[in-house]
Amino acid sequence: METLWLVVLGVLTVGYFSLAGFDYGTGLLLPFRRRDETLRRMTPFFLGNEVWLVAAIGVLFAAFPRLEGELLSGAHSVFTLVLAGLVLFMAAVQLRLWSWLVFTGALMVSVGWGLFLAHLLHAPWPVALVMPVLFAVHGWVFQTRQWKLFPLTALLCALPIPLAFSSIDVTGLMAHTNTLGLLAWVAIPIIPLVVLLQWSIVAISSR
Amino acid sequence: MSAADLARLQFATTTSFHFLFVLLTLGLVSLLVIMQTRYTLTRAPVHERMTRFWGRIYVINYALGIVTGIVMEFQFGLNWSGLATYAGDVFGAPLAMETLIAFFLESTFLGLWIFGWGRMNRWLHLALLYLTALTAFASAFWIMAANGFLQHPVGYRLDGNVLRLDDFSALLTNPTFTAALTHVVFASLTVGGVFLTGVSAYHFIKRTPEVDFFRRSLRMGVITTALATPTLMGAGFAQFPVIAEYQPGKSEAAPWIGAPLGFMILIGMTLATVSWFTLPLLIKDAVIRMRFPLYLMVIGIPLPFTAAIFGWMFREIGRQPWLVYGLLRTEDAVSHVDASQILLSLIVFTSLFVLLACVDWALIARAVRRGPDVAPAPVSPLVVTL
Ligand code: HEM
Repeated sequence: METLWLVVLGVLTVGYFSLAGFDYGTGLLLPFRRRDETLRRMTPFFLGNEVWLVAAIGVLFAAFPRLEGELLSGAHSVFTLVLAGLVLFMAAVQLRLWSWLVFTGALMVSVGWGLFLAHLLHAPWPVALVMPVLFAVHGWVFQTRQWKLFPLTALLCALPIPLAFSSIDVTGLMAHTNTLGLLAWVAIPIIPLVVLLQWSIVAISSR
Repeated sequence: MSAADLARLQFATTTSFHFLFVLLTLGLVSLLVIMQTRYTLTRAPVHERMTRFWGRIYVINYALGIVTGIVMEFQFGLNWSGLATYAGDVFGAPLAMETLIAFFLESTFLGLWIFGWGRMNRWLHLALLYLTALTAFASAFWIMAANGFLQHPVGYRLDGNVLRLDDFSALLTNPTFTAALTHVVFASLTVGGVFLTGVSAYHFIKRTPEVDFFRRSLRMGVITTALATPTLMGAGFAQFPVIAEYQPGKSEAAPWIGAPLGFMILIGMTLATVSWFTLPLLIKDAVIRMRFPLYLMVIGIPLPFTAAIFGWMFREIGRQPWLVYGLLRTEDAVSHVDASQILLSLIVFTSLFVLLACVDWALIARAVRRGPDVAPAPVSPLVVTL
């Protein structure tokens, strides 16, 4: 049961970070590219990744209740930065007033995740720059449609945080099997369904 | 202020903003279901245009509302780690159900609905909206179940110093959950009705050429309000016996706590009365020709939103000092974080949420002003701003 929930959490986080490159990456490049076309390419993916983030935090709360609070409150200011960046990014993309606002939002989110990575690894802060660089590269690969490189950069964006996360020892931090068993019935069919549906969104909007 | 006070203030602010978005989302999606069903059955262009126009507003509100929801979810872990530690096994179950069954699926169905516009079989497309609406209400269902547990904990057993899930079904038959769920669902319908009425009235004030379009919308709004509000009131009064049984002394929790309750009831009664008086005036469009009521309809838009915030204030402040009623005190659940850190995030989020609400308002106002037909719509007729 424990392995199952670690896998579920891993899948959700990997889902989030591999999709996150599309829009934060695009946001980081936006001031340097043609705005309308760049944003249009991103639109079908917009919000697609946040959904995975919300699901990941939900699972973290229910399946690892004794870990969730420590993990988040232990990096309070980092998450303030990530969330503030998210709010700014989403508002800015939809307003389309000013490319630099989108850029700032994307930068805050990606630096925030970088700082979280550094926090997990007990690494010095410059490690934080890894995330914005990876997102920007992934965004560039996506915008310039270099599909051969695409899986590689997606993977590079997706892996750092889940890998750093795997260093945490979760014994004793998980919920009781009653809770885990109940939730397993829900999580296992839903995740593939969402993958299928999100894939259809992309397929249908590129028709 | 102590860390606990700041964390409470932040929770109240975030939740209030979040709930404003949620109410409109739920209200609009229900009315969209009616509009698109009529379109799919009749193929009349007016129903298609109605679905498109109100659908655009719905999509804007949803996309911005998501962000407030993300902050909400993180907040439990950031500021209230004591809640997860102590009651996460039980409280977390409905919360995770919400993120997985409801929110995760809802956003995906909605995405497919947005980008599938005009690109798939119309019955399939309608089915997607039904699924979106269903999962949206499922969201309300699970969140209210989680909140009901905090009001009156059931279905748990104490194991050392943490709660364990004992009987999940008890969470779903919890009277503090069922009574409140009905009240909230009908509150969202009232919000949707009042919103449709007010926006349509605005267009008549501006002497819109789209008479048929907005006449239909206005009627739909008034009728929805007239039908939903009495049920909303009934469900509201039905909550008093539940409170008397499980939270006696709620109305003495703070000296002023009766005020929000009173205003909520007053707004409910006003909306019910006014909407029933308006019904006969729908005949031959008298209410539109009279013009004066149109201004009241526009002014009325914030009323049900305000009532809902008052309702939450009563429900949540009234149960203090408990976070989980009778089991966990609010002050004992606060994370071990510096008050200064909470203050920082409080300031950051409050200002960003004010910004977000303004953006929502600005984008909706722009979509409203542009009226039913907007070209071009490069990605989907339902997305004008992207
Ligand atoms: C005659 C009219 C109304 C009555 C008697 C009424 C009654 C109540 C009561 C007793 C509560 C507190 C429940 C608790 O503490 O457990 C409540 C909460 C609430 N009310 Fe009302 N209400 C009325 C009108 C409205 C209106 C017009 C709205 C919004 C459109 C609204 C929205 C809410 C909300 C969102 C809550 C918090 C969640 C809940 O407990 O259901 N109410 N209401």
